[in-house]
Amino acid sequence: MNQPHVQKKNQSQLPDVQVKKSRLLERNRDPFRNIKIAVGISVAVLFTLPIIWMLFVSLKPNGFSTTNPVEWFIPPFTFSNYVNLIFDSLILRWLWNSLIVALITTVLTLIITSLAAFAISQMKFRYKNFIFVFFLLGLMIPGEATIIPLYEIVKSLDMIDSYAGLILPMIASPLGVIILKSFFDNVPKEVVESAIIDGCSYFKLFYKIVLPLAKPAMAAIGIFTFIGSWNNFLWPYLSILSETLYTLPVGLPVFNATYSQAYVLPMTANAIASIPVIIAFLIFEKQIVKGISFTGIKG
Amino acid sequence: MNKKSWIQDMKAIPFLLPFFVAYMIFTILPIFKGLEMSLYDWTLVRKMEFVGLDNYKDMFVDPHFWRTLWNTTLFVILTTPTMVLLALGLALLANINSKLQTFFRGSFFLPSILSVSVISFLAIFMLQPYSGFVNTVLHSIGIDAEPFWMADKTLAWVSIVVVTLWWTVGFNMVLFLASLQDIPEQLYEASEIDGATRWEQFRHITLPQLIPIGRVILLLQILASYKVFAQILLITGGGPGGATRPLIQYIYEVGFTQNNLGYAATMSYALFFILLVLSIIQLRSQRSEER
Repeated sequence: MNQPHVQKKNQSQLPDVQVKKSRLLERNRDPFRNIKIAVGISVAVLFTLPIIWMLFVSLKPNGFSTTNPVEWFIPPFTFSNYVNLIFDSLILRWLWNSLIVALITTVLTLIITSLAAFAISQMKFRYKNFIFVFFLLGLMIPGEATIIPLYEIVKSLDMIDSYAGLILPMIASPLGVIILKSFFDNVPKEVVESAIIDGCSYFKLFYKIVLPLAKPAMAAIGIFTFIGSWNNFLWPYLSILSETLYTLPVGLPVFNATYSQAYVLPMTANAIASIPVIIAFLIFEKQIVKGISFTGIKG
Repeated sequence: MNKKSWIQDMKAIPFLLPFFVAYMIFTILPIFKGLEMSLYDWTLVRKMEFVGLDNYKDMFVDPHFWRTLWNTTLFVILTTPTMVLLALGLALLANINSKLQTFFRGSFFLPSILSVSVISFLAIFMLQPYSGFVNTVLHSIGIDAEPFWMADKTLAWVSIVVVTLWWTVGFNMVLFLASLQDIPEQLYEASEIDGATRWEQFRHITLPQLIPIGRVILLLQILASYKVFAQILLITGGGPGGATRPLIQYIYEVGFTQNNLGYAATMSYALFFILLVLSIIQLRSQRSEER
């Protein structure tokens, strides 16, 4: 995948090619470029408008209502809804639950998938191929279709309505093992062999040499596991019974269902749930986008 | 020699064990547990009695099963082609060489990071009759209609499809975009020397280069759409009159509202089978593409 980029760079360093290229670009300039950009801007506005609307509504005084759509975007604004919800509702608690569950899920997923991928990639043992294929099978097992028996299993482990019950069923990601294995496979054989000859233990080899080389893959898997857990709806919806253990996706509908015509408080709740991810997205956009093209194609 | 390889095997165990245990308990075991449950009359509290294939027989004559399976299939039919085309269109827009590239990509992708609960309630509040944002915008530009987005069967489907497209297209757009940017520049340069127009370039270079990723997106999309549940449950509740209720919602209701986990597990098996076939097709075509 990197090949074309490398070639492009080399080529633009050659002056004669560059001159030729810019002349060609001028001749073949897109006549519809401005129209396309205008379309792009309109679509971008359309895509972000609901989110912007949500943020503006959350700043209106509680109980505000209007039939003029423009009025949502003009003052008076207030932060009192945020203060009210943060102190007088369970929203913050749910945010905390979501955060903790997503974080632990991500860390555990990364640990167990990287360990397994390392063994399959770098170690010699019997039935290795069989075990790898057995793990690959997991890609074909849709979690949504096994959720009823999963509920029974988690119930018999006494983990319904607990963090453990939310986290543990989500950590064995076959896709993670496959992606990390293909990454570990690229670690130069000489590096591994010389480390072993020097008496380096497998665990040290894993931790000190192989893992640091797989940082981009770990980051991609980490980001996706986190987002997946953060947004997971069906499993927490089934397995969590007490309000104080709800994650945001499960808690928000409960909170919002008590309002149907009053917009301000539900939209504030939605905004509180969304602002952290929007900020994270603005910071990590590049990694997220790269991660998708990386895992999406491989997976 | 034999002893040595045994030691080698032992060394691998600590690396494999944590994943293996979690995988066995939470991924593999549910398949067998589901089979067992589907053969029993099984309530939320306990296993009742062995009923053999009765649950399967019931399923084949259960009109709700077929109706909700059809609703799910209709969702797949409505969202898949539109999703692929929209994703391609947005990717082309985001690929225009301008200062707005990051802005386009970011805006098209932004809805994807929001939780299903947030986007569902945004939709509910925006699509409210009389006071909702969409209807008030319609009024203010002179359209005097008062669409009841959730009460009409067709409009309910339109709402669900539009919201789903808006929410999830960003992921597919990024896949197309990555593929677009991987097309070697030389192909375009060579065709320019040959005097190709921009349309010809798009038709004969861009599109063919996008077909492999297009196929992946298509299959991933079908697979994901068959699992639809949360946004429909939250936006229409499956209504009006069950017109949009998907299979997973019905499974959930049978299991947890009607207290019949055995039958719910049976229908899960049907869904499992559909998804299994689809994902085998998907993995096959992906492997042939990688070659």
